[in-house]
Amino acid sequence: MMKPPPPDATLAVSGLRKIYPGGQGGVHEAGFTLTPGTFFTLLGPSGCGKTTTLRSIAGLERPDAGRIALGDRVFFDAAAGLEVPLDRRQIGMVFQSYAIWPHMTVFENVAFPLRVARDRRFSRAEIAASVGQALETVGLAAFAARPATRLSGGQQQRVALARAILRAPRLLLLDEPLSNLDAALREEMRTELKRLQRQLGLTTVYVTHDQAEALELSDTIAVMQAGRVVQMGPPRDIYLRPRNRFVASFVGATNLLDAAAPEAVAAGAIGPATLSSGQVLQATYPEAARPGTRIALSIRPEALFPGPAPDGWNRLEATVETAGFLGNLNRYKTRLGNTQLHLSTSPETLLEPGCPVTLHVSPANTLALQEHP
Amino acid sequence: MTALAPAVARVARRAGPAWPLTLATALLLAALVLPPLAVLLQVSLTDPNLDGSPGALTLRHYAQLLDDPHLLASAANSLVFAACATALSLVLGAALAWLVERTDAPLKPLATLTTIVSLGTPYILYVTAWLYLLGRAGPFNEAWRNLGGAGNLVDPYSLPGMILIEGFLWSPLVFLLLSATFRAANAEMEEAARMAGASIAATLWRISLRLAWPAILALALFVFIRNLEAFDVPVLVGTPGRISLLTTDIYLATKEVPPRLGHASAFSMVLVLVVAGLLVLYGRLARRAEAFASVTGKGFRPRPFALGRARPVAGLLIAVNFVLVLGLPLLALLWVSASPFLRPMRWAGLPSLTWKHYRAVFSVPAYVDLALHTILAAAAAATAAVAITAIAAWLAARRHPGGPVLDQLATLPLVFPGIVLGVALMELSLRLPFPLYGTVSLIAIGFTIRYMPYGMRYAYAGVLQLHRELEEAAGLSGAGPLGTLRRVVVPLLSPALAAAWLFIFLIAAKELSMAVLLAGPGSQTMAVAMFDLWSNGQGGELAALGLVWAALMTLVATAFHLLGRRSGTAAYGR
Repeated sequence: MMKPPPPDATLAVSGLRKIYPGGQGGVHEAGFTLTPGTFFTLLGPSGCGKTTTLRSIAGLERPDAGRIALGDRVFFDAAAGLEVPLDRRQIGMVFQSYAIWPHMTVFENVAFPLRVARDRRFSRAEIAASVGQALETVGLAAFAARPATRLSGGQQQRVALARAILRAPRLLLLDEPLSNLDAALREEMRTELKRLQRQLGLTTVYVTHDQAEALELSDTIAVMQAGRVVQMGPPRDIYLRPRNRFVASFVGATNLLDAAAPEAVAAGAIGPATLSSGQVLQATYPEAARPGTRIALSIRPEALFPGPAPDGWNRLEATVETAGFLGNLNRYKTRLGNTQLHLSTSPETLLEPGCPVTLHVSPANTLALQEHP
Repeated sequence: MTALAPAVARVARRAGPAWPLTLATALLLAALVLPPLAVLLQVSLTDPNLDGSPGALTLRHYAQLLDDPHLLASAANSLVFAACATALSLVLGAALAWLVERTDAPLKPLATLTTIVSLGTPYILYVTAWLYLLGRAGPFNEAWRNLGGAGNLVDPYSLPGMILIEGFLWSPLVFLLLSATFRAANAEMEEAARMAGASIAATLWRISLRLAWPAILALALFVFIRNLEAFDVPVLVGTPGRISLLTTDIYLATKEVPPRLGHASAFSMVLVLVVAGLLVLYGRLARRAEAFASVTGKGFRPRPFALGRARPVAGLLIAVNFVLVLGLPLLALLWVSASPFLRPMRWAGLPSLTWKHYRAVFSVPAYVDLALHTILAAAAAATAAVAITAIAAWLAARRHPGGPVLDQLATLPLVFPGIVLGVALMELSLRLPFPLYGTVSLIAIGFTIRYMPYGMRYAYAGVLQLHRELEEAAGLSGAGPLGTLRRVVVPLLSPALAAAWLFIFLIAAKELSMAVLLAGPGSQTMAVAMFDLWSNGQGGELAALGLVWAALMTLVATAFHLLGRRSGTAAYGR
């Protein structure tokens, strides 16, 4: 079971399209290639197509177009009219509702893939050994004989995981597996999932709308919007270098200031950006801009410093409006001209509502984003 | 007196602000439900005086009943009939429900159509159609003789014939109820099995069927009880075939001159006890079925199973079921209603088809009265039953003090087979100082009592779906229990109540077993009139009348179906 993954566990999805009658949800265009062992997350608001993408890989949906392959095995190819039925794909999957069968014990739930296996028959001893090992892996060895109806949410989750990894799949699919758990348990299972995925070295596709989950767990994140992948990359890039307005505001909180490019700026360069007040800031342009291009300046609340700052940083003269103490940080709303600027500081930094404050932000953390890159 | 006042106040406080409403509802329910039971018990335990009033206590009726060797034969017939018919309708209905709800089988609308039409059609009409189809002049025996066979291939007036007809009668309702089960089931349970490598057959056998099993078992018991109480098929098929069943024995005892009411009552009490025992068992099974019902995920529209090469076979199954349960009977009725006299179905008979039966139906004013009586009685009963049970269900579901008593009182009539309630109401009404026996009012009261449990089920489920805080907000805004009920609960409950009303209206309008005992010459309902036409050998007129009536009722059933689909989608999440 805990072998290293076979070398050909590369998941390649290209040109995926699935439109539902009625036009709600669905995928317009999705494609990605994952190196074996990647923890890959599809992140986006509900209806963005992330679940449809996952279900297409699983074989639970038949895409309208595109190609899905795992290593040298083609699961689906619309052009070639090829579709491997879902029960032949040998993919492990954890469902949002866990889908733990209430009429079976924990043992039987986990043993199911071996009981229905058609490639070979498993002896009783083999089944007991595999199931025992899988339950051991998820920390439920003592629960084998328990009826499935008498499990907590977290335990059901672990049973679902044990069932998914039992036959050493080359690919693991997780459909919002933490969304039905309470906050404390969610933290715990996050760590547990990551540990398991590392231990088994499984290529994993994870679907969630929770950006914190995505940032903590993933090697690679694909942010989806309206049926398309809008940005794909490591968590740091997604958070620190969002490519457009949507990604910046969906992943983490940010301030967006209306501005325009006064001159042409090359992609990836630092250049001037003119605020509506006329003030000019130095900003990083992820995409090339022409003179007059409308942009939104994205500045994270924690990138703003009220204290002294190095030369070359942007200075913003604002007025403190309200203050909120959250324990691990202070949150302030300040006013900059006719826009609001959110600011988070260390709990020691105290600002008085009504007082003026000078805020500094580095050009690297001032992002000039366009509506669509 | 003065010492009593604080005590009353204390009880009232503990009973909550709704206690006058609870008390009034309980009294009304008790007045409807308990007298029939009491009168059955009394008549079964007394010797009648010459004027019919109850005399000295006796166990004679029970002793005679148990001594009668005939009882064993009837009981055995009833059991075999009910069990086999249940099995048949369950296999047909369950297979159909799974194919329609969970696969990509073609021709699905045929199954829905069959169900809608059968909801509104009196059973007696179906039974006569089948008696014709399987009878001597029917196409099956005719084909047999044409092939050189001697005599008849099938005899419908036999236990197997009865089972076949009753099984077909019930399969649409089984389909309807199990469809809901399969639709509400969490599709991820099946998808998980498929992802684990299970084939469609293995998934069906190891997951779908097992998960639905408690619901199927509970439904099987319910259908078994209803088949045990069945009257239409036993009296129309069994009695001419000299196959006696419990229900027909009771009916015949009341039709003797003089009627053996003591015997019928003792018989009824025994049947009530048997049914009550089975209902307790049913309650347990149904609770287990609920515990098994799983919480669904995000309500993704599940992709139905792709049947592949088996798809045409599935379509064929749906088509065959349609032909058997709806197509053939309908064709037979059309033929009979347009033939001048009862004759085999032949092309040669086409030129002599006639409108005379239809003309008769539309020209006799008595038929219009009949339709009006039926609609009046069914509508009055549906209205009364829904009104009472809406209040009772709200009080019970919200756990007001006394709620469980209301629940039990409103559900109690389930123990009465139609024929038994008919006997009880007949005895009761004959003793009243004013004439009630033989009126449409008595029939309406009977329908109300008999179908209250169905109103209760709809209303109770409806209340459970309402968030409690909606009512608490009304209370905090200053509304009393009645105000909350009138301004918040009833408007929000209206889809459930409308569905309950239509359902009760439909089943009341086709009820035969109770109405046949309570109807007087001027107060017949449609089903009773059809029974008379059949007894008089007026098959053509019966078919014409039945088809017209069934068309009318199908309109009501369509409304019921559309309403159920609309509120059903809301309940099941997309």
